[in-house]
Amino acid sequence: MPPYDDWNRIDEEEEEELQDTSFFEGKRDVILFCIDCSESMLELRDDPNYEDTQTCHVYTALEAAMQIQKKKVIVGPNDFVGILLFNTTRKAETTRNGNGNQGSEIKRYTYLFQPIGPLNAPTIQEIIQLLDAFRENSDELKSTFPPLTGKRVAMGDVFTSCNWVLRDGAPKTATKRVFLITDEDDPHLGPGSKQLITSARTTLIDLTQSGVTVEPFFISTEDKPFEISKFYSSVLLPTNLTDEDEIDPSDPSVLPESISISRIEDLLSQMRFREVPKRAHFSIPFQLAEGFTIGVKGYGLVTEQKKGTYKYFVDLGDRMEVASVRTVYIDEARQLEVDSSTIVYGMALGAGPAADEEEEESAKDSNARVVKAGKRPFFTAEDIRSFRTMGLEPGIKLLGFKRRNELAFEDNIKHSQFIYPDEMTYAGSKRTFSALIKSLIKKKRIGLALVLTRRNASPTFCVLLPQEEKADEGGWSDPAGFHLIHLPFADDIRAASVVTGVRASDDLKDAARAWIDKLSVKNGAYPPDSYPNPALAYHNAQLEASAFREQYDPTTFEDLTLPKEEIIHKRAGTLMKAWKVALVNDKSADVVITPGTIAGTKRKAELTVDEAEIRSMYEVDNLGKMRVDQLKEFLRSKSQPVSGKKAELIERVAEWLDAH
Amino acid sequence: MVAERAGYTVTMFLIDTSPSMGTVRTVDLPPGPNGEAQTAEMTNLEWALQFVKLKIQEMIFNGRKTDQCGVIVFGSENTDNIINEKNGGYENVSEYIPVGQPNARTLAKIDALEPSSVCGDPIDALIVGIETQAEYLASKKTWTRKIIIVTDGESPIEVEDWEATVHKMDALDISLTVVGVDFDDEELPYTEPNKTVIKTANEEFYHTFIDAMKNGVVGTCAFALQETMRPDVKQTKSTLMGTVLRLGDVDTKSDEAIEIIIKTSKCTALARPKSWKKFAIRKEAGEDESSMKVDEDEDASVAYAQLKMRSEYYIDTTPEGEVDKDMDVKMEEEDESLLEEEEEGTEKPKEKPKKEHMEKVEKEQLVRGFKYGTTYAPCPDGQFPRLPTKKGIDICGFFLAKNFRRELSMGEIQYVWADPGSAQQQVALSSIVQALYEKDAMAIARWVTKDGMDPKMGVLKPVVFDEVDCLLWAQMPFADDIRKYTFASLDHLVNKKGELITEHPYIPTQEQLDAMDNFVDCMDLMDAGEKDEEGHRQPWFDTLLSYNPAIHRTKQALFHSAIVSDITTNPLPPPHPELLKYFNPPKRVLKRSREALEECKSAFKVKPVPKKVARIRQDGHVHALDEDDTLLLLDRKQPSPTARLQSRMDITVTEAEAEVSPTRAKAKAKAKPKPDESETESESEVEDEELLLSKKSISPPPKKPGAPLPTPERSLSPSADDMDIDIDRGRAPGRIIGTTYPLVDFRKNLERGDVVSKAVEDLGAVVTEIVMRPFASRRKGELMECLEALRDTCLKEDEIEAWNAFLEELKDKCTSEPGNSEFWSQVKEVGRSLSLISDKEAKKYGGTSDVSEKKANEFIS
Repeated sequence: MPPYDDWNRIDEEEEEELQDTSFFEGKRDVILFCIDCSESMLELRDDPNYEDTQTCHVYTALEAAMQIQKKKVIVGPNDFVGILLFNTTRKAETTRNGNGNQGSEIKRYTYLFQPIGPLNAPTIQEIIQLLDAFRENSDELKSTFPPLTGKRVAMGDVFTSCNWVLRDGAPKTATKRVFLITDEDDPHLGPGSKQLITSARTTLIDLTQSGVTVEPFFISTEDKPFEISKFYSSVLLPTNLTDEDEIDPSDPSVLPESISISRIEDLLSQMRFREVPKRAHFSIPFQLAEGFTIGVKGYGLVTEQKKGTYKYFVDLGDRMEVASVRTVYIDEARQLEVDSSTIVYGMALGAGPAADEEEEESAKDSNARVVKAGKRPFFTAEDIRSFRTMGLEPGIKLLGFKRRNELAFEDNIKHSQFIYPDEMTYAGSKRTFSALIKSLIKKKRIGLALVLTRRNASPTFCVLLPQEEKADEGGWSDPAGFHLIHLPFADDIRAASVVTGVRASDDLKDAARAWIDKLSVKNGAYPPDSYPNPALAYHNAQLEASAFREQYDPTTFEDLTLPKEEIIHKRAGTLMKAWKVALVNDKSADVVITPGTIAGTKRKAELTVDEAEIRSMYEVDNLGKMRVDQLKEFLRSKSQPVSGKKAELIERVAEWLDAH
Repeated sequence: MVAERAGYTVTMFLIDTSPSMGTVRTVDLPPGPNGEAQTAEMTNLEWALQFVKLKIQEMIFNGRKTDQCGVIVFGSENTDNIINEKNGGYENVSEYIPVGQPNARTLAKIDALEPSSVCGDPIDALIVGIETQAEYLASKKTWTRKIIIVTDGESPIEVEDWEATVHKMDALDISLTVVGVDFDDEELPYTEPNKTVIKTANEEFYHTFIDAMKNGVVGTCAFALQETMRPDVKQTKSTLMGTVLRLGDVDTKSDEAIEIIIKTSKCTALARPKSWKKFAIRKEAGEDESSMKVDEDEDASVAYAQLKMRSEYYIDTTPEGEVDKDMDVKMEEEDESLLEEEEEGTEKPKEKPKKEHMEKVEKEQLVRGFKYGTTYAPCPDGQFPRLPTKKGIDICGFFLAKNFRRELSMGEIQYVWADPGSAQQQVALSSIVQALYEKDAMAIARWVTKDGMDPKMGVLKPVVFDEVDCLLWAQMPFADDIRKYTFASLDHLVNKKGELITEHPYIPTQEQLDAMDNFVDCMDLMDAGEKDEEGHRQPWFDTLLSYNPAIHRTKQALFHSAIVSDITTNPLPPPHPELLKYFNPPKRVLKRSREALEECKSAFKVKPVPKKVARIRQDGHVHALDEDDTLLLLDRKQPSPTARLQSRMDITVTEAEAEVSPTRAKAKAKAKPKPDESETESESEVEDEELLLSKKSISPPPKKPGAPLPTPERSLSPSADDMDIDIDRGRAPGRIIGTTYPLVDFRKNLERGDVVSKAVEDLGAVVTEIVMRPFASRRKGELMECLEALRDTCLKEDEIEAWNAFLEELKDKCTSEPGNSEFWSQVKEVGRSLSLISDKEAKKYGGTSDVSEKKANEFIS
């Protein structure tokens, strides 16, 4: 292996920053879409989805960019996005530069459609209008961005333009990426191509050195297949991995992993994979045993995506400004603000009557603990942290191995994390990690470890669930690594609340099995991709409408998580019906359940509330004749709330009967 | 495991304050900051009260209104109890704290208890306790009754009719605990030496008494204290929430659609450490720091006030251009608070906004809304209309359990039970559970907890218990919750030509794979646990026995801070061993895997990657090779004015010479003190030496500053006479002997006569310094001379002790790492004449030594 110095220089900057902002979205993300506007990209072709409409690659690329912007604007409102077009003769109008974002002139035949900047409703609406105009008139894009005919702009110039645009528009600390979209696999035809390749390579290195990653999306079609070996494989650097911290040190330079060649239809889904820059949650040592430690990084592959929280705004007349919230700690009795560095920690002073006649002052001094001067029955913030961490330093400490089946379904408490080896902290991490995975998979074992991921977290026991590498034709593969599954502590485990129940007969079970078989997906699994969060999507759709100052039409919303009832009935309806009949005739249900008597509850007169009886009372509008306990019993049997006055109970019973 | 009903309990504490409780005992405290043992002296009463306070603290901690206690003392000076009021008798028993919910003041009152001058009878106190409790609970028959006696068993007990008391307590379902100070305990184990006759008799009585009871326990105080710190899982009974399990369209196809009435309850629920309350020293209005200090006399007290949180709102009035910068700052803060919130469950104060641009606004002026990028999206309600949903769990389909991806499980697990009140519903669910179980399948389901609530997706797994069938729910991610990061393949490395690479430092070799297999086998935990009844070893680690260290340690600390008056003098005891039992692999496994581990270590050769910082420094060293630089560096490191003068001269000389004849300068570099070494060899070595040594001069250890650089000039003029003018003697500040010509310096100083001790000391230090440096071997001859001269001087000038001490130190340093064992063996070759100075030798010159002749001989062999 070459010495470290040679191969980890470039990404060190990133590495350092990563340490600072190891938690999630601390860093701003900047994406510059760099879209080829050549004739072939603008060539009209039949839309695969809609009949009688035409589309072109530029349209698809812009639409994908718009979709990404729409997502970004909600998920990362602080992220910056810009769009640069090349191979177009359109020139920058000076008015565009009026906002001062783009200081320098960029290269010829490249055009900055949207400068790098924070997202807002008007920029997104601008693209939407353009796309709509194209739908109306398919010449719109061609006339807005006239293509360069007969020749192509040198890729070196494109990279230089990207560099300038990013330099002027992007904040220094951000992760900066260029999404390059083109269908031309050999942009430098004719004489001087060698030189142009060299210049492309140098400018790309410049770009990389200023902390920018280029993520190419090469469009390949049947009549125009894309060959990366023609030009790009010799230009793109191995640093082009989406992986911000992976550089392959091996001498036979490894092919960049992330060069994606996609059909134009897949462009958006390809971009979605790379939409969020990969960031490690933690980078810690993994101690397999005393004196045998490797480095790993941890990622959150499964994290609940929540709705954003509202913010407080102040109307300043000309604009709405967000108010920042600041929490201060005050001594209530004195109404004095307390400096946070002097705060000490202790136990709540007990409730209850505190006043005591001998301490008259105590009324005034309530909520305070009085001790002799110089004594301090409280802990400092540092103490408190050590109680949580038990004095451990962040790291994963292996305790041993267990059989795979020792990991129970119910031993779960929060989402898992994923660890991947980190050669940058310990050389040899990858081979050790790789060998450990292979061994555990072979032996059907899992690891057990004590894990402290961050300095102010608390230690937990985790199962290390090995995952083998598996390629997926969808473009994304299961990476090799361990899932860290946080085990519940004894404190988190609740006892079963019900211990006995009546069981079904085999006949009834078989009847159920019949429709279960019909409704099973062969070789299916839980498909996360088929279930976008409907509540989140509904919220975001309304948020977008609100920002665009449009009226939201709820009927346009489709909830994909709803069960496909029609298919269910079509496939298994009759079997379900048969099961229901069998259930009614099942003998094992003829058991009188005596509700468990809880100490202290009064014994009640035997209550039998028949649904038919209640229904008949309801139909003749005579529910008022029922006793309160009967109504409650009925509601309870239907899992309805039993609180409130009689009138409310009657109303609730009526509602239920209405609904059923 | 059915949880006991929490709360609804009255605990009576009966505390013995008889004179014997005033006996002072020594209590071990946790080791101090440097690991030294610490103890404290306290009375038996104070010690035993710790137990009472911990128990009461637990009640305060749980904060239940129905968890109450009362305190009765026996052996009190006065008599004040309800039986005495009515019927007389029961002397020296008084109700100290009436039954009620305890608070901080309760603890303060208990702290005020002092041993008295009269004895009290515990049985009297017990009867008073029973009566007081019974009176208080007259209308609360279902409450749990507990009585705890705290005593040293040294006072006489009226044992007559004790059976009647036992009957009474059994009738009332009272559980009695006797906590005895220094009672014998076989299990702890503890036996009190010199136990009094009366205490022996009393202990025996307590055991008889407790054995006769339905519900009683007697134990020693030390054990009780230990047990109160044992992690104790708070049993929470999960509530059953009613809902419906559906399959199909119940509205339009009700003849086919299935609907089962079910109850759900939590199976796992994340428990968090109890939060801390914030306090700060209360300052009187207008009071400043200085006046605080004034009243630091004996009786002064400080009040720590509990703090309340208040939110304030600010807007940024920064001019447009600066906004960008501020936004970054704000974002970091948000993240920080986010992190804290996650950890602590409470909000952390954000950094003070920069005052100059921040303007405070009142909450009334604020409107709620969202940020859409930089665009304001109005939303006065704080949320948009919710997605209309219908309460219940809808089954979407089924799949085989083997395809379940365990790592996708997102959160807490829930039980799904059939309605416990309906046999038919139970049968219905049971049939589905059993069918799924038989097929080894799971259901995909969508759960809405309440009408209008956001739906969750998840899977239902069938569970067949001994007497009931149920489903377990695990929440699964939505498409939005999954991040598909790409990772480089670990196995599949491809070179530019598209060829697969099979040999690479990233890919483990067969030897490495075998070593790992072996390691995995040895570290197996399946048979590393305790033995079961049949003698089979069980797996090590059980979630049901793994306590969350953060919760229990925090609780222990909370309690501790509440019962002691100062953290510094009374630090928190170490965590209960039960908390740490899974922190290290079991010994059995470690022992078994030792060999496999060594094999792994040598096979994988994992090495930490040096930090970037180190490399920059290396670059710096390379720079220092430059001659001028080196000298300048030297110059900087010379603190003594004379030395500085010398090195300045040095520079001028060097520069001048370099100008005149470069070859000469080169010759200087080549020149060596030892003429027998070949020139070519020494050249490179000099460079090496300089490189290495200059490294030291950049960051010298505090003990040896000075200039360790051998300067080229030394070879120029070996005569001692003119050296003083133009040579850096390498003297460290405060030393009269330099590293350059130690022996010459030494002799000179001896001639002066008045600095012998200092000269001896400094030569010793300088020799040690040189020996420990790289390339010391080159100066071997010189060093031996130094040693001989030094020993000789020491023997004659009565510095025998100094020599012996120096030599021992030198031997230690040479033989330890990083040492210079080579040099020491050279000393050994010289033998006895360089060893310690023995008493015999010393006598000859009128001195003394505590080293025997034999020891001196052995020392050098």
